Amino acid sequence: MSTVAAMRHVRGFDVARPLSIGVLVLMMLPLVFLPLASIFIFGTSNGLDKFWGALMQPEAIFALKLSMATSFWATVFNVIFGLFAAYVLSRYNFWGRNALIVTISLPTAIPTAVAGFALLLLWGPYGTLGRLLTPHGFQIMFTAGAIILANIFVTFPLAFGVIKPVFDTMSRSLEEASATIGATRWQTFWHVTLPSLRGAIVSGALLTFARAVGEFGSTILVSGNLAGRTQTAPLYIFAKFNEGQIEAANAIAIVLALFSFLIFSVLFFARDWLDVD
Amino acid sequence: MQSPHRPAAAASVVGISKRFGKASVLENISFDVAEGEVLVLLGASGSGKTTILRIIAGLEMPYTGKVILHGRDVTELPARERGVGVIFQSYALFPKMTVEKNIGYGLRIRKRKRKEIRETVNELLSLVQLEEHRKKYPSQLSGGQQQRVAIARTLAYKPEVLLFDEPFGALDTQTRVHLRREIRALLKKVNVPSIFITHDQEEALELGDRVAVLNVGHIEQIGTPFEIYNQPATEYVATFLGAANVLEAIVRKEFLEVGSARIPATLDKEKFREGDCVKIVFRPEDILLNRGDLPRSGEPRLATARIEEVAFVGAYERLRLRLDISGGEECKTDETPFYLTTETPERPSTKSIIATRPKPEASATRLHVGEKVAVSLTSFTVLPQKGTK
Repeated sequence: MSTVAAMRHVRGFDVARPLSIGVLVLMMLPLVFLPLASIFIFGTSNGLDKFWGALMQPEAIFALKLSMATSFWATVFNVIFGLFAAYVLSRYNFWGRNALIVTISLPTAIPTAVAGFALLLLWGPYGTLGRLLTPHGFQIMFTAGAIILANIFVTFPLAFGVIKPVFDTMSRSLEEASATIGATRWQTFWHVTLPSLRGAIVSGALLTFARAVGEFGSTILVSGNLAGRTQTAPLYIFAKFNEGQIEAANAIAIVLALFSFLIFSVLFFARDWLDVD
Repeated sequence: MQSPHRPAAAASVVGISKRFGKASVLENISFDVAEGEVLVLLGASGSGKTTILRIIAGLEMPYTGKVILHGRDVTELPARERGVGVIFQSYALFPKMTVEKNIGYGLRIRKRKRKEIRETVNELLSLVQLEEHRKKYPSQLSGGQQQRVAIARTLAYKPEVLLFDEPFGALDTQTRVHLRREIRALLKKVNVPSIFITHDQEEALELGDRVAVLNVGHIEQIGTPFEIYNQPATEYVATFLGAANVLEAIVRKEFLEVGSARIPATLDKEKFREGDCVKIVFRPEDILLNRGDLPRSGEPRLATARIEEVAFVGAYERLRLRLDISGGEECKTDETPFYLTTETPERPSTKSIIATRPKPEASATRLHVGEKVAVSLTSFTVLPQKGTK
């Protein structure tokens, strides 16, 4: 104790600083750094050729493409929906408004397997709605459409959650000014409201996309997990791992990890650009 | 002070009233603004001045009454079809647009030609002297510059009327004084009718061609700054615009009786009858003081007084005096006197008054606490007392 105090006093050096940083890094090592590192170590231990070969398997490429496409459409839907919902819920006060806000936010709190199960119960061949539609040749479950539905469900509140606070803090007088200048509601939204939301929309979209690409629990239930048809990248990893093809699973795992890393770097470093006034 | 011919009204408000739920916030408000004229709506917070502005702008609907802009009844029109220019307290500049985009916004949404937009924006930029800031964003400008952008943005589409919502509220005192002179000069150049709202009486007097004093939803008085300051129509106007002394008096033939003192006055026989109770209102600077019992030659004396307090407040000296007017007949009023609610049991306004003296006079004749002085008035206003017959 006295040594620490003396050191600090004599050298003007705060021991707590390197000590606490060290502890933080040590704690994260087994929890985050090492698992991530092992993906890269294992995946490339047999040489980059093997890694590349595993990645270039048609089924692997298909899984990655399917993940990207389904996540993309889910993101497009949820950003537009989030924008609309945020506008309505922050501009109008009505009975049941808070109930709607809670309901929109609910899907994040529901286990993803439950979400997938719920979709099956609704749209599946014997589901509440599916029962009526299946005889007419309409079956959305076990298709790419089902994956999009599942992605929409589990990422439902993400874009909304980012956009709504920006709406709430946006001064009403901007929109009033635009109206008195002569703009229609649509012109005001397009020229005044939307530009102020740019940052929120971009980060909401990235967040939604990143989350959708990684979705597993609900997609495994609703997609049918058919290789080359409805198998997304996370399902591919799971399937290959079960078959003992660690290398194949690992190649895709590396790609997904890098991808998330990229998205969160953009979110983090582009924050200043996104919020620029 | 008022011009003999008031030109035709460019903007009028006729019999506007407004309620929020059961609470009435405006009662029968009417006024006109002429082309190029500046009207200031002066009132404390809660007087309804912002609501009037929002009704003219079309951001709020009146309960009754009409808004007429250049002869056109716009009461039923939405804000965007009225062509009014509102300068918001926060300026409400579009944060993601540059200065020139902000100014050109009204023309862009009106689908004007690029060339026309560019020319108008250039003209306005030079009018408000912001040419070198044209590419900047609002957040990079000072408060005063932002305000000039806000004005230019509304002038671009030739507004029917300019509405200023407490435009200097967010600024420090020095900038505020500087800016309002600048804006007054600018408004005289563009010749657009303007309505300002403010709670600052000094601002109202300096900015307005005319001033309307609002009190809980109705107009107490509307007139030139000179009129409302020197001939207040009500006690509220008198006390809201700077310091005012109020004394109760009884109307007699050819004079007013203030306690035991008398002031020579000939009053309008139609308005006042002998024996009426009235209030006389005068400003601290309307008082002349002379040491001793006698006023300076030629001044009618009100009374003698004892000096209770002398304070030097920068530009002038302020004195609190207790008038020696005890005795005489008291006014009998039905009115519940407002001072019952205050902690002072005596009638502060009837006996104790405030006087100010300009610096040269204060240094030439020093006065001290406890001295006796003769008090005379250079001017005063007589108001009927409510609730008495």
